[in-house]
Amino acid sequence: MLCLGIESTAHTFSCAVLEKKGKHGKICSDIRKIYRPPEGEGIHPREASRHHIESSAGVLSECLQKAKVRINDLDLIAYAAGPGLGPCLRVGAVVARSLSTYYQIPIYPVNHAIGHIELGKLLTGAKNPLVLLVSGGHTMLLAFMMNKWRVFGETLDITLGQLLDQFGRSAGFASPCGKQIETLASKTTNYFPLPYSVKGNDVSFSGLLSAAKSLAPQGLEDACYSLQETAFAMIAEATERALSFTKKKELLVVGGVAANKRLSEMLKSVCKRQNCKFFVTPLKFSGDCGSQIAWTGLLESQTKKSSEIENTFVKQSWRLDTVQVNY
Amino acid sequence: MKLLKKGAEGDIFLTSWNKQKAILKARKKKSYRNPSLDQRIRKQRTIRESEIISDVKLFGISTPLIYYVDTKNCTILMQHIAGTLVSDLSELKLITSCREIGRIVGVMHKNGIMHGDLTTSNFIVSNGKMFVLDFGLANKTKKPEDHAVDLRLFKEILTSAHVKIMNKSWSNFLKGYKTVVGSARFSKITNLVTVIESRGRYANVV
Repeated sequence: MLCLGIESTAHTFSCAVLEKKGKHGKICSDIRKIYRPPEGEGIHPREASRHHIESSAGVLSECLQKAKVRINDLDLIAYAAGPGLGPCLRVGAVVARSLSTYYQIPIYPVNHAIGHIELGKLLTGAKNPLVLLVSGGHTMLLAFMMNKWRVFGETLDITLGQLLDQFGRSAGFASPCGKQIETLASKTTNYFPLPYSVKGNDVSFSGLLSAAKSLAPQGLEDACYSLQETAFAMIAEATERALSFTKKKELLVVGGVAANKRLSEMLKSVCKRQNCKFFVTPLKFSGDCGSQIAWTGLLESQTKKSSEIENTFVKQSWRLDTVQVNY
Repeated sequence: MKLLKKGAEGDIFLTSWNKQKAILKARKKKSYRNPSLDQRIRKQRTIRESEIISDVKLFGISTPLIYYVDTKNCTILMQHIAGTLVSDLSELKLITSCREIGRIVGVMHKNGIMHGDLTTSNFIVSNGKMFVLDFGLANKTKKPEDHAVDLRLFKEILTSAHVKIMNKSWSNFLKGYKTVVGSARFSKITNLVTVIESRGRYANVV
């Protein structure tokens, strides 16, 4: 089975072709183009969607070429229907619908967050993990029970990705800011106390963001270091609490912020203490990509019929704990 | 000393005190945390837990007795409670015990205490009596928002770990809670729970 996956939830427009044989999945190609806002600014939905429109044809043909398939060879098409920015989501949906109707290929709307998790499981081989999803759109601890991903802990306000990006932008960095914060943080070990807010398995970052912003004028490196240490320690603690509560023996980290080395290091240490296996999505596929959508589409097609074209909407707010998973 | 559990907060050891079984809760250093942050958290929670665990006894809530507190090594020696964790109870018993949990939470809130970590594994049934454990995240607060955070957390645990019996347990919890705090406060707090939930990511349908 060959599936084309189209991802366009936020700053990334990506197409990927995956092949599924039995339980095995092979990434034949994964091409992406990323919209970069000017330094100090966030994603402008209109500008991002314009970027996606302009990139779509090129990314699609490069993706097919690299996979050495023709559109007619595809068995299905999956697109990220949400959650994400409306104007951006619509670009992916339009491309998917056009291909599907013109070439008569079954179409599947897919939840972007589930995509992160499923691709993570495919690439790491984790069987029954507690999942930590950390990205610009999510900060959640999840476990699979009774056909749904259940939330065991999450942020009560902004996400870890937003915390890093909003802090970085206020300091004039280009989004996404995680990498630059990590680099600056590694230059010091000067820790300033910042608000630490863990509520059971949940976290809250808004107070930390304000405090870190006001710390920045005293020294950007120290502020970056203190911000990272505090925020990641909160995540590590919430994760440890959820591991201890669910008694899971695997932890799988997915999403864009999974690329941060300091966070990985802390979580590894948590796993060692809780005697559980640590998995993280490989760097290349931790951020948004078409592969996550294609693979989820392939899994969905095992138990679900494809969507009628009139039902292929986008849903900006589509919580992953509302998605019924039957495969 | 026997290691009973490596909890998220600290290691739980079985030991003895004056020839009685006792629990030693040791908040060990966490190497992954920045040392000064780690020290701050461990010390603060050790003091807070031992203080509030004793305070709530005044309102008739059953908690382990504190024998000894070491703020330097961040350990608490306390009474051993033999019994079953609520999370390990049968579904039927769990549903009924939620009413008692709701009542207890109501009493704490009425007296200006939030527990901060209301999960089903922090309640233990011993000889028919419900004990509350783990006050590391507890706080002295009368703010309605803080109390609502307590309720939301318990609801989150029910919707995830105990999803099969979620509806019955949650309505039992609310019944118990309402009998203590009264209907005016009850509607205020439950409304706030909805507000907090709506602040969650992608909770509002656009």
